[in-house]
Amino acid sequence: MSLASSASPRLLEIIEASDPARRDSALDSWCAGKTRAELLAACDELDAYRRREGNLYRRVRALFFLAALHRYHLPARPELPREGRVPYEGFCHLLDRRFEEAIGLFQRAQQEAGPSETLSSALASAYHALAFQTLADQVRRTVRSTHGNAWMFRLGHPLDQPLRVRRELLVREHASAPFPLLRERTPVRMDLTHCGWSDIFFLGMDFPEGARVLNVSIDLGVHGRDSATRPPVEAYFRLIDEPAIRLASADLEASACLTTLDEVFDFGRDYLGLLKAAIIAAGLVPPGIERSGASLAELLASMFGPGRGFELVSNVNRIPKGSRLAVSTNLLGALIGVCMRATGQIQSLTGPMAEEERRMVAARAILGEWLGGSGGGWQDSGGLWPGIKLIEGARAEPGDPEHGVSRGRLLPRHTLLGLDRIPAEARRRLQDSLVLVHGGMAQNVGPILEMATEKYLLRKEPEWSARQRAIATLDDILALLAAGDIRGLGRALTGNFFGPLQTIIPWVSNLYTERLIERTRAAFGDDFWGFWMLGGMAGGGMGFIFAPERRAEAQAQLLETMLRTKRELESSLPFAMDPVVYDFAINEHGSVASLLHGPEALLPLAFYQHAVPGWLRREARDLSARERGDLQQFTLAARSDPTFVQALPTLLDRMLPSADGSGAPGRQLDQLLADNGFDRAQHEQIRADLRSGRIGLAMNRLPPSTRIEDVAARDLFDAASATEPLRRAGESALHRGEVAVVTYAAGVGSRWTQGAGVAKALHPFAKFDGHHRSFADVHLAKSRRTSAAAGAAIPHLFTTSYLTHAPIERHLRAQGAALDREVFLSPGKSIGLRLVPTVRDLHFAWEETAQQKLDEQKEKMRESVRAALAQWARTVGEGGDYTDNLPGQCLHPVGHWFEIPNLLKNGTLARLLAARPQLRTLLAHNIDTLGATVDPALLGWFQESGATLGWEVIPRRIEDHGGGLARVDGRLRMVEGLALPREEDEFALTYYSTNTCWIDIDRLLALFGLTRGELADAERTAAAVRTMAARVPTYITLKDVKKRWGHGQEDIFPVAQFEKLWGDMTALADCPQVFAVVPRQRGQQLKDQAQLDGWARDGSAQHIASLCAW
Amino acid sequence: MRIRKVLVTAANPRQRTLPLQTLVDRAGEPKSALQIILEEAAGAGIEEFGVVVCPGDEPAYADACGALRSRVRFIVQDAARGYGHAVLCGRPFVGDDAFLHLVGDHLHVSHSATSCARQLLEIAKAENAPVSAVQPTRESQLTSFGTVGGRLVGGARPLYQVESVLEKPTPTLAEQHLIVPGLRAGFYLCFFGMHVLEPDIFQLLEEQQQAAPERPLGLSPALHALAARRRYLAFSVAGRRFDIGAPYGLLLAQLAISLAGRDRDRVLTQLLELVAVRPE
Repeated sequence: MSLASSASPRLLEIIEASDPARRDSALDSWCAGKTRAELLAACDELDAYRRREGNLYRRVRALFFLAALHRYHLPARPELPREGRVPYEGFCHLLDRRFEEAIGLFQRAQQEAGPSETLSSALASAYHALAFQTLADQVRRTVRSTHGNAWMFRLGHPLDQPLRVRRELLVREHASAPFPLLRERTPVRMDLTHCGWSDIFFLGMDFPEGARVLNVSIDLGVHGRDSATRPPVEAYFRLIDEPAIRLASADLEASACLTTLDEVFDFGRDYLGLLKAAIIAAGLVPPGIERSGASLAELLASMFGPGRGFELVSNVNRIPKGSRLAVSTNLLGALIGVCMRATGQIQSLTGPMAEEERRMVAARAILGEWLGGSGGGWQDSGGLWPGIKLIEGARAEPGDPEHGVSRGRLLPRHTLLGLDRIPAEARRRLQDSLVLVHGGMAQNVGPILEMATEKYLLRKEPEWSARQRAIATLDDILALLAAGDIRGLGRALTGNFFGPLQTIIPWVSNLYTERLIERTRAAFGDDFWGFWMLGGMAGGGMGFIFAPERRAEAQAQLLETMLRTKRELESSLPFAMDPVVYDFAINEHGSVASLLHGPEALLPLAFYQHAVPGWLRREARDLSARERGDLQQFTLAARSDPTFVQALPTLLDRMLPSADGSGAPGRQLDQLLADNGFDRAQHEQIRADLRSGRIGLAMNRLPPSTRIEDVAARDLFDAASATEPLRRAGESALHRGEVAVVTYAAGVGSRWTQGAGVAKALHPFAKFDGHHRSFADVHLAKSRRTSAAAGAAIPHLFTTSYLTHAPIERHLRAQGAALDREVFLSPGKSIGLRLVPTVRDLHFAWEETAQQKLDEQKEKMRESVRAALAQWARTVGEGGDYTDNLPGQCLHPVGHWFEIPNLLKNGTLARLLAARPQLRTLLAHNIDTLGATVDPALLGWFQESGATLGWEVIPRRIEDHGGGLARVDGRLRMVEGLALPREEDEFALTYYSTNTCWIDIDRLLALFGLTRGELADAERTAAAVRTMAARVPTYITLKDVKKRWGHGQEDIFPVAQFEKLWGDMTALADCPQVFAVVPRQRGQQLKDQAQLDGWARDGSAQHIASLCAW
Repeated sequence: MRIRKVLVTAANPRQRTLPLQTLVDRAGEPKSALQIILEEAAGAGIEEFGVVVCPGDEPAYADACGALRSRVRFIVQDAARGYGHAVLCGRPFVGDDAFLHLVGDHLHVSHSATSCARQLLEIAKAENAPVSAVQPTRESQLTSFGTVGGRLVGGARPLYQVESVLEKPTPTLAEQHLIVPGLRAGFYLCFFGMHVLEPDIFQLLEEQQQAAPERPLGLSPALHALAARRRYLAFSVAGRRFDIGAPYGLLLAQLAISLAGRDRDRVLTQLLELVAVRPE
């Protein structure tokens, strides 16, 4: 108690301080030198404080402090016990987003069993999630209560709908003529600086003074494709003589006719979620009416008259996804704008909007994004405003819904910078120097935004001072722009990217971007004036600034450079498309609407290209009046409008079946299967078993009667207690050249890149020694260092697969690796063909296994996507071969069990043994276990043990899923999570498998029934492997695979595949095994890019760097 | 403030027969809607009656005035140029005095012994300021009425200082500009079809007509301007208004009048019978 009273008030003072200098001090500084007891006492104080504190941001800051104390500071105290247990019930609460209950259970466990790293990890996770949940809830509440939005949540019956259509939209030539067409054209926005992601809602609401953005509305065209720039986003609205809502996305080639309210609120079933969100956010189908059971026709009749509905069409001028120009938010704004104009919520039916109306549409766009389960920054709807504007956070005043809750308002203040602030000449100069591009990468910026929020609240130095510098940069940039000093502007923007932005979040940059900058600088020298990161992170939309006289040349050369660099890196980094260069112009009008009548009332060309073939295939008499009218409009335009004339051949192509009957993708797939050891007989057996229900997710589990018990520390070797003799023995073995390292590099990082299909081994995930390095680079650097220390070369083997072999080989050659002398590749000789999952397995995965529950709207979205996926599986055929994707995405590696046997089968081990007969031991590990090294003490321990296999485990943290070390029916064994009879069994296991395995070569060969000499006999080796494979279980798993289409669009499908896992070797009674517990930094794995920041902050990155020699 | 005159507007060409509809009043007497309106004014102490009509409607309206016929002066609005213009036509009739203004398509039923018009006149005289009668109205009805935004100034009385007036606002606009503290969420102060105005309103109407001669002239913009120029109040009358031009408006008005009058039990009984009998 004395500790708590002396230490904690100071920590609370930081949160409560009115003096900015004190409030902005960092948690890290406070924690320095504190003991475990002091930190735990501070946690108690903070937890009590956040429960009683009414102020949102103090509460949230306390939560982030708690998360950081448990995630970073307590585990860093050596006196904190490592082993503990997470109560399963608490884990379930966590998944259900019942964070308070989870925290309560974890705290109780901590009181009963004492603190531990395991429980701290659980508490950190719960506090972190609760902090973000609290912030998201507040934004949601504010969006709902913003004046102008709230009425829509009260409306529950069609007769209450107060909106009425504007009369102008009802005027038509005759009863069967189409109604007039209302068109909204909206530019997109680019930001010159966002002052360190200060446009995140949470930041703007807590720190309005620091929330500042310089935002420019622009028209776009794709360089070399489009003859002129234009507002890239369009929305069209018109009435129809049907009691329904027709939606069409011209660019996504999707359309739907909605006749019930439930369909309107079903966001995930098609690609029209954005249009649906717009209809709801515009109040046409108000959110309050969801699940009311009311009739959509009645609701439409109240606004448009009996028997009428409306059609809403969106069009994006083929601007690829991930452009960082806020295309989707501005499209949402355009859609909402056109709907609001049509119903009189915006006074002017045509022309630009008034300031107040733009603010209203922006507020509705925030609502729409929340409804659609997405989210952006508060500057994103900047395209609604004209020209260049300064957008700043605004203090909440009395009368604002935010007043008393947060310091700032949800919606910022927009100040248009007219010609008096930024003269025409300066604007022209900017346009003459800037080359806008899309680098081709499409990445999820969400984790970056979460990191920015967390770091803002923790105020860590030097991140906090970087934020101050970023805020100050805006004034510099504004002054430079006003003066027309574009060279200076380029310098400032580059400085911002390499300085404050990367200091706050190092992960905003990547190897691709930095290589582009380097090559551009090399090619243009002083005429390359600067680099500009658009939006949240680099790699997608980017800006390069040049001396004006070289801009045209730069456009061409940059495209070539981007394409070349993409080719080099496309196996390592996730690219969604080929790069493009844009033409752009500042749009000085903002969002503008026009009312089109008669022949002018044309929908976008892409709409007709999608719709006309369908109409033409039908009998003329079967077409509705609207369809006939549209067809006539199209025919008329096709005679006179050159753009429509040019599109006719494409349209005819669409009507006819593809003339290309070569079946090239199918042939490629067959070839790939043949080349990579596909076993068709085995595949057909698995397919038949899957269809008949003999195998499946439910069948992966061990029988329920299996006894699963935890393992006591005395059953394990503790690496920390390794004796000097063991170390010396290991060092001698190393010196004698008895060890080789095997790195599993066959995987494509399903979680790492969400199924993008790149070689995870080659992903340049972090900077070491000033350069981006890949996983493979790091492993080689460790071997290099160990070799140097041991005075003997350590051979390093990478096991590869059909997807990773060629790129890894190229990469290693380019790095100058001594292939086949010190570095070896072991190509995979086992491959599987993915299968369409059974609906039974999909439901098992979604319903029978514990799942992270999402935010309310995201959960709705997920439910609707799942219904669509189950329907897809039924339609395509459950258990059928999955072939509807790029060939490489249809195949799958068959699990890491095969990695070691492949060394036997493909002759790699035989060659290695021939060259180095002294070789006795292999150290095999996953590609993402960065800390795995040939530690002499562990080597000494393993060699001395006389076992065939030696396994490394670590004390479990809450994020360590997928099984662990257990006593199964009395025998020590690694059990996969999917094999455990009950999910809760995993939480009773103290130790988690790192999958790092020491292998005694001769004993393993003996287990397989082979000798060194017999490895040369391919047939005998293959038979031995087959026999052994039959002894280990086969698991069915579901994996997400991306299918790319359109302009950077991606769909994710769950597909079924089978796996055998190396850990199941522990189930073999005739294979002697030993187990060691190792420090977390040695055994932890990097599975998700969102882990990177914590990994860098908790000292892990530094530890890995200390193991490497570059 | 002395208020002797009432100006009734009944010149909407789309609703020119509405004031001629026959209803049964509280006493069980059949009367035209116009007569009920005029009697409401007369009961409040009004002495002179002006009714703005479409050209040619005078004879029919004269027949509908009942016993007050001799005291009613008809003012013809030559062309349909908006509600505000109809009010402006009454300027010569009103002269320099404050006046009561009623609309020809609204009937009123008081919740107290004092009629709605009398309640309004008393408050206007006491406050010595123009006052519009208002009724808290659900947001779903906003598109039928002029709506005021303001703040409560009357203490215990539902009297408001008007700050803005918007004609038939969307709920979006209403939430941004017309929220009145103290009202239930989703309710706004909408006009009651009954105002006490002073001649300065004509000046404002004229100014607005001159600013946009081609546009139909509304009354709400002039009232909005009035609120900016002087103390202008809104009073939530203890009663209800019925827009007899709305679907089922006449029926509802009749029911409300009957249920507040002599034949309450008779009408209620028949209503219940109707409710109880389920058509096959």
